[in-house]
Amino acid sequence: MNVAAKGEAGTWLVAGAAAACLAALLALLAWLTLAGLAALWPSRIVEARLDDGRNALGEIVASSDAALAIRTSERDRIGGGYVRLLRSTIASTSEPDDAFVVALADGRRLYGRGDASVAAAAQRDSGSPEAEETVWPNALGFFGRAGLFVRHAGRFLATSTPAPALVGGVLPALIGTVTLVALMSLIVMPLGVAAAVYLHERRGFAASLVRGAIANLAGVPSIVYGVLGLGLFVHGLGADLDRWFFADRLPVPTFGAGGLLWAALTLAILTLPVVVVSVEEGLARIPPSLRAGSLALGATEGETIWRLLLPAARPALLTGLILAIARAAGAVAPLMLVGVVKLAPALPVDATFPYLHPSRQFMHLGFTVYDAALAGPDALRGVPRAFAAALLLVAVVVALNLFAIVLRNRLRERYRALES
Amino acid sequence: MLIAHPDPTLPNEPPPGALPADVEIALEMRALSVWYGARKALDSVSFAVPARKITALIGPSASGKSSLLRCLNRLNDEIADCRIEGEVLVGGANAYAKDIVVHELRRRVGMVFQRPNPFPLSVYDNVAYGPRLLGVKRGHLLDDAVESALRAASLWDEVAARLDDSALELSLGQQQRLVIARALAVGPEILLMDEPASALDPASTLRFEELVRELALRYTVLIVTHNMQQAARVSDYTAFLHEGRLVEFGETDALLTNPRERLTEDYITGRYA
Repeated sequence: MNVAAKGEAGTWLVAGAAAACLAALLALLAWLTLAGLAALWPSRIVEARLDDGRNALGEIVASSDAALAIRTSERDRIGGGYVRLLRSTIASTSEPDDAFVVALADGRRLYGRGDASVAAAAQRDSGSPEAEETVWPNALGFFGRAGLFVRHAGRFLATSTPAPALVGGVLPALIGTVTLVALMSLIVMPLGVAAAVYLHERRGFAASLVRGAIANLAGVPSIVYGVLGLGLFVHGLGADLDRWFFADRLPVPTFGAGGLLWAALTLAILTLPVVVVSVEEGLARIPPSLRAGSLALGATEGETIWRLLLPAARPALLTGLILAIARAAGAVAPLMLVGVVKLAPALPVDATFPYLHPSRQFMHLGFTVYDAALAGPDALRGVPRAFAAALLLVAVVVALNLFAIVLRNRLRERYRALES
Repeated sequence: MLIAHPDPTLPNEPPPGALPADVEIALEMRALSVWYGARKALDSVSFAVPARKITALIGPSASGKSSLLRCLNRLNDEIADCRIEGEVLVGGANAYAKDIVVHELRRRVGMVFQRPNPFPLSVYDNVAYGPRLLGVKRGHLLDDAVESALRAASLWDEVAARLDDSALELSLGQQQRLVIARALAVGPEILLMDEPASALDPASTLRFEELVRELALRYTVLIVTHNMQQAARVSDYTAFLHEGRLVEFGETDALLTNPRERLTEDYITGRYA
């Protein structure tokens, strides 16, 4: 019997395609999760004895059939302790229980063997005033390691980034990302909803031109928006603002340099098309009889839109917001031109008036990923850090979206009868 | 001893569209014509709707019943290629005069649509929609307005305990009474109903007709129906439209039992093809 005649071939084909998509997605998430979490999992300390009698104590950071790379004590600077050992010259390796690692406040790591007093002496010799932690990882059981992992994860999330941007937490980048997305949402939603209402209410040549233009905006590469933001906002509007309001501080720019506000505006333009398109679709789905009912009660056009159509289109508004957040949180290229920096001296939000500082430069998780993976001086530290930051970025996007999705589903529940 | 004399000044058979002089008029159409683009939907219709009575508008599909109704509260304004000629007098003033504010006119001339169209809001918010447009904000004033409108639509007893539930959860019959309550809450003088019972089951329809009879004590009702029995049960006056023209208008009993026009007779006896 011919399979194609029964139509089963097509079923298998589309089901296979769907399964492949799902598998790819799961593989991506699993890999990212494993690699991201592994960066925070405490590794063992290895002592390698060489044929010539020397030995090396530290963490294995890379290995191949021919050689091992070990991070040994960094006495002078971060990244100054790597050694590459040919396997043919290694006599033996061991994981001594009394091996310790001292994580210094400036990010350097010292390795040694002995008890707490030896570790304290090593820290004193290093010239660093204090140690973040001293642990004997080889002596720990699984739960001890898990406890350490939780502590590392907490520190990664909740502490700020020290100078070389290679170690420490990513709290400033996390705050920067969330603040940026929130500010972008505040800008894009009113703008996008207003534009969608206009396009919905006006049918005609001009409206279809605008509609086409907005739909095409979605296809513009994001770096182009970055250049636009740099030219229009930073160098144009920002320079004007400085001349008018902050002339006393010139030539030091206030708004004339990249900053949170310009980045949020740039992202708002970037995400405008998805908001407009989904809100307009939502408005189009509302039955015309509701509109007629409102007008028949003596509501004006504006009252009908404001009191009835927009509330009824709230699920579509949230869909637009979800898509906008997803697109904005992943856009790094345009931000590099309009305000993201490797290390920001201050947070864009803090406890001093006016709490939100729209002119400040800021850090962003997406940029942290790029910076740690490619632009840092210490690739062996940077790549695991990039994975951890990428995992966090995905978690932030998922969390923001989940919030909006839960909100939307609760609204859908209310309007379910309307859609049938 | 009183002897009823027929008034010699009145002709025995008034022409179509005329009413006895002592009947109070709420709404009057004078040579009303409607075009949608090049298509003429209504052709010079003239008749007067008596106040606080129920007037049924009957006629085959596409005879212009709905078009006529939508002229009376100017809902046809929303249709881009619709053109209107003639006059509509609401309480003596032309609804199409330049100084008429459309949304104020629509508050005086309420409308109930063919399918119940409750807003996707709570029962309370549906009824409060109109009063809120009028600027009623104070809690108890709004509560009172909602309650009296729901009572007038004889829905209060059924929904008093579920005012915060979504209006979409009500049955169709309840939804149709809810939209009447919503229309009543803005204090109209005239209620236009466009085949309001066509989506309802027989029991709900009877209930609905009862309500319409009650409403006629206070409001002028103009109801479109293509159900002859319904027109007979509910209405005081009937107008028969055919292909955009008013064929006959008169008291319902007379029109249905003893039509003057051949066309009317064919339609009500079901011989109309």
